Amino acid sequence: MQNNSTVKNSNNISWESVLELIYDSRVDSVGLKERVSSLATRSIKKDSKLQALKMVVSMCDLTTLEGEDTEGKISQMAAKAINPDPSDKEINSVAAVCVYPSLVETAKEKVINSSVKVAAVSSYFPSGQVPMDSKILDTQYAIDAGADEIDIVINRKAFLEGDYRKVFDEIVALKEVCKNVHLKTILEVGDLKTYENIRKASLISLAAGSDFIKTSTGKLSIGSSREACYVMLKAVLDYKSLTGISAGIKVAGGIRDSKDAIRYLVMINEEMGDEWLSPDLFRFGASSLLDDVLKQIKKLKTGAYQAGYYFPRG
Amino acid sequence: MVNWQYLESIESREILNIRSKYTNYIGGKFIEPNSKKYIETISPSTEEVLSKIAISNQNDVNKAVKAARSGFEIWSNLAPYERSKYLFKLARLIQERSREFAVLESLDGGKPIKESRDFDIPQVAANFFYFAGWADKIDLSWSTKGLKPHGVVGQIIPWNFPLLMLAWKVAPALATGNTVVLKPAETTSLTALLFAEICDQAGLPNGVVNIITGDGTTGSLIVNHKDINKIAFTGSTQVGKLIQKSLAGREVGLTLELGGKAANIVYEDAAIDQAVEGVVNGIFFNQGHVCCAGSRLLIQESVHDQFISKLEKRMQALRVGNPLDKNTDIGAINSKEQLNKITNLVDEGVADGGNIFQTECELPGNGFWFKPTLFTDVQPSYSIAREEIFGPVLTTLTFRTPDEAVEIANNTEYGLSAGVWTEKGSKILWTADRLEAGVVWANTFNKFDPASPFGGYKESGFGREGGRHGLLSYLKESS
Amino acid sequence: MIEIKKTYKNYVGGKYVRSESGKTYTKELKNEFYELPLTSKKDIRDAVTSSKDGYKKWSSTTPYLRMQILYRLSEMIEGNKESYVELLMHHGLTKQKANKDIDESIQNIVWFAGLADKWEQLAGNLNPVSEEYFNISHQNPIGVVFSLSGSNLSLNELLMSILPALTVGCSVISYSEENSVVALKFAEDINNSDFPSGSLNILSGKFENILDDVSKHVEINLVALHKELDNNGLKSIEENASESVKRVFSQPSIEGLSSILPYLETKTVWHPKGT
Repeated sequence: MQNNSTVKNSNNISWESVLELIYDSRVDSVGLKERVSSLATRSIKKDSKLQALKMVVSMCDLTTLEGEDTEGKISQMAAKAINPDPSDKEINSVAAVCVYPSLVETAKEKVINSSVKVAAVSSYFPSGQVPMDSKILDTQYAIDAGADEIDIVINRKAFLEGDYRKVFDEIVALKEVCKNVHLKTILEVGDLKTYENIRKASLISLAAGSDFIKTSTGKLSIGSSREACYVMLKAVLDYKSLTGISAGIKVAGGIRDSKDAIRYLVMINEEMGDEWLSPDLFRFGASSLLDDVLKQIKKLKTGAYQAGYYFPRG
Repeated sequence: MVNWQYLESIESREILNIRSKYTNYIGGKFIEPNSKKYIETISPSTEEVLSKIAISNQNDVNKAVKAARSGFEIWSNLAPYERSKYLFKLARLIQERSREFAVLESLDGGKPIKESRDFDIPQVAANFFYFAGWADKIDLSWSTKGLKPHGVVGQIIPWNFPLLMLAWKVAPALATGNTVVLKPAETTSLTALLFAEICDQAGLPNGVVNIITGDGTTGSLIVNHKDINKIAFTGSTQVGKLIQKSLAGREVGLTLELGGKAANIVYEDAAIDQAVEGVVNGIFFNQGHVCCAGSRLLIQESVHDQFISKLEKRMQALRVGNPLDKNTDIGAINSKEQLNKITNLVDEGVADGGNIFQTECELPGNGFWFKPTLFTDVQPSYSIAREEIFGPVLTTLTFRTPDEAVEIANNTEYGLSAGVWTEKGSKILWTADRLEAGVVWANTFNKFDPASPFGGYKESGFGREGGRHGLLSYLKESS
Repeated sequence: MIEIKKTYKNYVGGKYVRSESGKTYTKELKNEFYELPLTSKKDIRDAVTSSKDGYKKWSSTTPYLRMQILYRLSEMIEGNKESYVELLMHHGLTKQKANKDIDESIQNIVWFAGLADKWEQLAGNLNPVSEEYFNISHQNPIGVVFSLSGSNLSLNELLMSILPALTVGCSVISYSEENSVVALKFAEDINNSDFPSGSLNILSGKFENILDDVSKHVEINLVALHKELDNNGLKSIEENASESVKRVFSQPSIEGLSSILPYLETKTVWHPKGT
């Protein structure tokens, strides 16, 4: 499939169009940061805050991606995903649990009869440093095991070497494997460093057919940032105005508390609008975030600050 | 999909202690105006009467100038280091009472608390800090000989950034050894009068800062006073010209910071999303009540449609409403008079054939409000493309080449500021060189800093405020 | 033998021209009568048109070249020193005074020549703003300057009314009433040097005839008066000037850096620093 410029992806976009798209990737970092920090001054209180926090819960991909993950750990997490706060019936399930391919089958069993989906990281997450055949095998395995969603990583080696075509082709190939399974493409913004790179990678990933673009693996010290998310959402909007396709965004890595999560929502709300305020188009990759959100919800309802032991382990 | 509304998040007024009426501050004391005349000052967002302020007459002006003259004897003979310390002290006190100032500014003037809290008042403190350090370094400022203060300076300031304009005027005047008679605008005098309290608190010698309130008549009494050595004015070009005329043939120093109709030039190779933000900030900051507002958007034809579509979408996200709501982006128009002026010009723009876009938003019932407005299909001859509107109204013109952009940008009697948006460095420098404007913002807009000189070319006035250049506005060469 | 006398003409746009009005005025200097061009309102308008064009050329000349053109002027005056001294002596100056005037003139030209590529470093600076921005204040020449020269018969005084503005890139309309003979002779040296046409126009006449036109002409950006006017004169100039916020300087400083400051507009440029 290399060097075949007539190859088109599932969205029917040619490589030439992709090149045209990324050619205009200009971002001014200072202006970008100013806009993002100005959005962070929004004061979200009381019912607006409660509504936001409930949204955050429903948008969470509860995640564990460790070598030490066991079936037991996955069972705990799945239970929490289905019923995050047993003491509050108003709290809905989270969007998904996110695991390694080898644990997809277990996760799938545990979330059966719930709305919780199972997402698997594949394509040799987190580095992606293997031949394409291996990435396809990895992904195919997760799909065969029943994954509803696949989170892949882009080929940063190729990207930083300037081989954008290779990055694009790999995503196209993995999307072919996925077919109707929801594809999230991780840019790993901490590796890309500049906002222009993030914009380019976003557009390449979108054009290659990703259903979502996702900030980070969560395995680097630099995870998601609201600035990176802003660049990505602008790319999503531009891509929509070109194709009519609404792609989603997942932010992951480093979003620890409710305040930060609400700031993401404010940004999505004001820049993208209602359509994206839904788990179908916006997700948080989370492990520790969820507990803070649950605490804050309880605090809003009772007026008292909460201790962690009131909430079950995930 | 949900509809998520932000509830109101109102900054409390409890911190304020507004008096039922305010007198003048002359010679270190609050004293009744000789005129015995007062007018009500209202909040433009609710039309609620906040207090009463004095309308000063000739006797009041005489008193203030006399106090400033005796204050000058003390102040100009103080060791520069001592003057410096007073200014540092003022800066600190402003910082400490910043929330109080911010709430009062938003209440009295109508600007969003977000701006008074995060921009106006921090900049006020920063200006006093900056000029505090200059007070004992005047001899290092310019390699010209024997710079000395003018003496008594009359300062007349506008209503758009009430306390910040006071800081721009008072801080450099005091640092250079002058004393001042300052008149705030009649719709926004309250923060200046609160500043008078701060002067008291700082123990500033009597007569160094005198604040008298009043309308245009009071202003002209200051301008025409025989014992004034210098006038510093910020306001409309029309009034600026009258002041310049009044001072003809008199040995009185003058600096003018007047109107503008700034071009904000967006080239096709700009970082479009940041340019949209910059254009929005350029015209909707402070309801567009900004002399350097980027009120003429000049877009390269090749990106016109894309840009306008992004701009309209972005404008729709602007939140218009209660200035004390922390989530308000656009507050109230400062006065009924100003609202009428904006309305008339916009009506004219529509009648001329301009294509108008206004955001969908609910405006409060009381108070003075205007929806964020964008005009496209505008010809350079329309009055909305030539006259300063001083409101949240943006006028779009298009260009084909850099030469044409510069030509359109300079096709105005004003020359205060301009914006340039392109990611190509050489084009920025080429354009900036050719723009007749005192401030050029490249890939940004409406940025201010005490260290950065501000002031206009052409009919936008003369003299600079801020920075090392700002000192020269308050110094003369000893003959 | 009858002496052939020079016909004095205005110097506009690099050409010697009579007043379009055809009028002259008579100047008597030490029993000699000179017929000098009596500049009309129309002449002023023509001079402004030429100065606008001259401004474009002169302000876009590199500082390095401006410096050399100014320096070349000092060479020309030096070469013609005798004739200047003779002219001044002819009109009553002692030889010593005449020599001194020309020596000082040359010295001042050389001083300003050397300033042509330095003033921007002295008058502008980088401003330490408290955010991630590059912020620089640099200087632009203000444009077309009308300069009324002093009443003394002196090349040096004439030069000091011209050089500061010229050095920073302004074009100058120099206007002399009492000093016209020197000014119009000086025009010859300007003509023989490398100043672009219109950068310096030299006119003579009665200032009162054109006072209103000069102070009201919107395309004259600055009026410098190097001569004391009666208060009514200054008042009406400043009143007229206010109609277009025109800058008026009455007897501006001719000392050092101060001499050039009136002719500069400070332009502050901001740019973000980012990646």
